[in-house]
Amino acid sequence: MDVSGILEEHKNKFKPIQVDRLIPTEFDLGLLACFDMNMLDDNRLRASQQSRDRYLKELSREGAQQMINELFGLPTTVDEDSVYATLPKTTTVLPREKPIPKEKPPTRWEKFAKIKGIQKRKSTGKVFDEDQGEWRRKYGYKGVNNDDQKPWLIEVPGKADQYQDQYQVRRDEKKARIEKNTRRNQRNVEENVAVEKGMKPHEMRKRELQKALVLSKQSTASLGKFDTKLKGEPKTKGLKRKFDPLVGSADSEKSKNMDILNRVAKGESKATVINVRKAQRAVNNAKRAAASKSK
Amino acid sequence: NEIHPFEDETGIEFFARKNDSSLFAVGMHSKKRPHNLILGRTFNYQILDMIEMGVERCTTMQEHKSQACSVGMKPLMVFNGEAFNRDENLVRLKSILLDLFRGEVADKVSLKGLEYIITVTAGPPGPNGETGLVFFRTYTTSLKKSGLRQPRVELEEMGPSLDLRIRRVRLPTEDMWKLAVQVPKELKVVKVKNISRDGLGDKYGRVHLGKQEINKIQTRKVRALKKNLDGGKPGKRQKMDVDTE
Repeated sequence: MDVSGILEEHKNKFKPIQVDRLIPTEFDLGLLACFDMNMLDDNRLRASQQSRDRYLKELSREGAQQMINELFGLPTTVDEDSVYATLPKTTTVLPREKPIPKEKPPTRWEKFAKIKGIQKRKSTGKVFDEDQGEWRRKYGYKGVNNDDQKPWLIEVPGKADQYQDQYQVRRDEKKARIEKNTRRNQRNVEENVAVEKGMKPHEMRKRELQKALVLSKQSTASLGKFDTKLKGEPKTKGLKRKFDPLVGSADSEKSKNMDILNRVAKGESKATVINVRKAQRAVNNAKRAAASKSK
Repeated sequence: NEIHPFEDETGIEFFARKNDSSLFAVGMHSKKRPHNLILGRTFNYQILDMIEMGVERCTTMQEHKSQACSVGMKPLMVFNGEAFNRDENLVRLKSILLDLFRGEVADKVSLKGLEYIITVTAGPPGPNGETGLVFFRTYTTSLKKSGLRQPRVELEEMGPSLDLRIRRVRLPTEDMWKLAVQVPKELKVVKVKNISRDGLGDKYGRVHLGKQEINKIQTRKVRALKKNLDGGKPGKRQKMDVDTE
């Protein structure tokens, strides 16, 4: 039986998919790209626009055919009536958008766990609830620890007051736990900031407290001159504040007010009215920002 | 707002920061540089590299009255010509175009969803060896039966086609490029050492024990062998001696 004839006929019905290239084309299927290093027909590229476009179309078709051939050779998965090809990892080096994030300094617990050698254990996150006979979350929405009605009976512990509301006690304890947790998180954040700045967290807290103290002292009308000083507190340096006497000549008051009005009425002619204190602060802030940026 | 990326980078950097985008394209027209197109990338909101090209010929999607493909598809990219490996400017262009048209990063692609292809071809270089025109073409693919597993590809010219002449190129500075290309430790491929497979598919591994101190190995404790017993109770020892005599 000579089947070759039938096979030939069958083959000729369809156009070929083979593409021959002298130098094999390089593929980066992770990017769906291919790089063909073969020589191009420069004459055809220099030719008229139409023939050039035709040549480019031919080249493109062959390139596309090669890629489709490669892609159809990849391992596939079927998902909802469509066939997906699993792409390999890209080989071309493409730059990142943003620099690699810095490693976070370890928290207090992480440091402790490292010393003791405590490993993290992965849990499934669900706990079997006997009452409802199903798996519920440990915490969160419909979680086991969230159920307010769960203990339908709470025994009053021996030492507690008889008339104390035990349910309220539970709720209060839970609130206290949450607060403790948030305080600890906040402490971790502060410690990280201190480490980033290169200071010990204790020192940083001390500095902040001193700053707050100085500011609060200055916000009194007498700029903290008459406040009782703590041991070891440095002498506060503040502006001297001078108040005009309440009772004085009407003329001086009048001339003062007229001066102000005249200045305002003149408008921003020369903008000579600068608040030196604010200007200095602005300059200092800019310097500080520049210094931290250059770090 | 006038933006001249090659003269003043702050305009682009401002936009990149505000929009949190790392790829940019600027088009402008002047007598000195007609039909100018600048494509570029930023790293950490600073310009990494950019290419300025003159569009010498351009046809739009409306002119090619063929069916456009759906939005959001990943294109196949084909780069023809060895110049894309040789010429510094074209290497840069290739990198930028790959980045620009990459689309969403995916590890799987639907075989039916390969709808369009972008071809970039390097034209013949000029008389002084300068970079030639770059032909940018876009086609929609149609997959036809071929009697074999892989289909036959037929193309239909679709989208914009541009003939580009490279004008100026700004390459990235050495250290910025190094930072941009760094791979974090976690993503680096870890080589598995000491494990091999033989022909039958069995996995063989080599386990390296350290130096073993035979004196200090923990074995079952036998009280009689305890060192203290020698000097401890001489009475008992003597008794044993008597027996063996």
